[in-house]
Amino acid sequence: MKWNATTHLLLVLCGFLVALLPRFIPLSFFRNRRIPTWFNEWMKYVPIALFTSLVVKDIVITKNYTFSVSGKLPDLIASAIVLGIAYWTRSMALSVIGGLIAIFALSFFV
Amino acid sequence: MSKRMLNDNYPMWLKDLRVSMPLNLSYIPIGTACGILLHAAGFNHLLTILVSILVFSGGAQFLIASMLLISSPFYSVILMLFFLELRYALLGSSLSKYLQGQSDRFTFFFAVSLNDENYAINYLKFSTDKKWTPKDALNVEHYSVLFWTISNLIGSFIGSALKIDLSLVNFALTALFLYMIMMQLKSMMKLLICVISIGLSIVFMVLMKSTLGLIISTVISSLIGFALENYLRNRHPKSNALKTFKNPAGTPKEN
Repeated sequence: MKWNATTHLLLVLCGFLVALLPRFIPLSFFRNRRIPTWFNEWMKYVPIALFTSLVVKDIVITKNYTFSVSGKLPDLIASAIVLGIAYWTRSMALSVIGGLIAIFALSFFV
Repeated sequence: MSKRMLNDNYPMWLKDLRVSMPLNLSYIPIGTACGILLHAAGFNHLLTILVSILVFSGGAQFLIASMLLISSPFYSVILMLFFLELRYALLGSSLSKYLQGQSDRFTFFFAVSLNDENYAINYLKFSTDKKWTPKDALNVEHYSVLFWTISNLIGSFIGSALKIDLSLVNFALTALFLYMIMMQLKSMMKLLICVISIGLSIVFMVLMKSTLGLIISTVISSLIGFALENYLRNRHPKSNALKTFKNPAGTPKEN
C-alpha cells in the first residue's frame, strides 16, 4: 500500500477508531458497574511495559531490527537527563524541552 | 477565604480555563514538535488538524509520524496505535464512577477528548474538589484539544518553512515516553517490570524483526507484573516490592 493523502486520511480515521474504543467502552460500560479487579491489576502494568519497549526501540534497535548501541551515547545521556528532569519536576513540558536541548547539545559535542 | 469567593464569582468557562492553563501552555512546545514531524511524514495542514482533534494523543501522533517516516505498513501503524491507546481503558474505567448518570452522548464526547494529561487534572479535581462537575471536566478537555491542535498547526507551518534535523526532533517522542515511564514508576514492582521489559523487548524485536515483537514483549511483561503481584500479595503481603514510592513532588490524596 502506497502512502498518499488518501491513505493518510484513512489512517487518521482508523486511528480515531482505535483511539476511541479503549477510551469509550470502559468509560461507558463501568459507569454503572464494578470494574473487575483482575482487569485493573493487569492494566496497571501495561503502560510501563509499553513505554519501556518504545524507548528501547527508539534508542538501541536499528531500522533493520538489530541491537546496536554504537553512536547512541548522546541518546543515552540525554535519556538519563530527561529521567532526572521528570523525577524532580514532574513536568512533561520541561522534560521534553530539556531532552531536546540535551540531544542538540550532545550531538554537537559527543 | 476571599480567594475562594473570588473563584466562585468567575464564570464557568474562565474558571475551567484557569485550571487547564498549565497543561495548555505545556502543549505548545510539544505540539509544535509533533506538527513539525507530522509535516515531514507527509501530512498536510488539514490532516494535521484532523489527527490532532480525532486521535488527540501526543504519543500516538508522534508514533504515526515516526512510523510513516520509515514507511511502515498500514496494519502495523494501526496495531501499534491500538496497543498504545489501550492504556486509556485504565484511565477511562477509573474516571467512570464520576460520570454516573451522564448521557451516552456526553460520555462519547468525554471519551473522544480524554488523554493522559487532562485525565490527571480531572482525576485530581474530581477526587479533591466536591464542586467539580463532569461539565467542568469536559471544558478542561476541550481547552486542551484547542491548544494541542493550534500548536500542531504551528508546527506544521514551521515544518513547511524551515529545514530541521528530524532525528533530533524525533527525540521529543523518546523524551515524552521517558517522562511517562517516570510518572509510572511508583513501586519496586513497576521498576522490576521496567527492567524485565527492556530485556524482553530487545529479544522479541530482534527475533521477530518487526514491531510485533514490541507488542508481544508488552503483553508478556505486563502479565508477569500481574502474576507476580498476585503471588506476592497472597504469599508475602508485607513485601517491600508492593509499597508505593514517595513522590518528591508530593502525592495527592485519593478517596
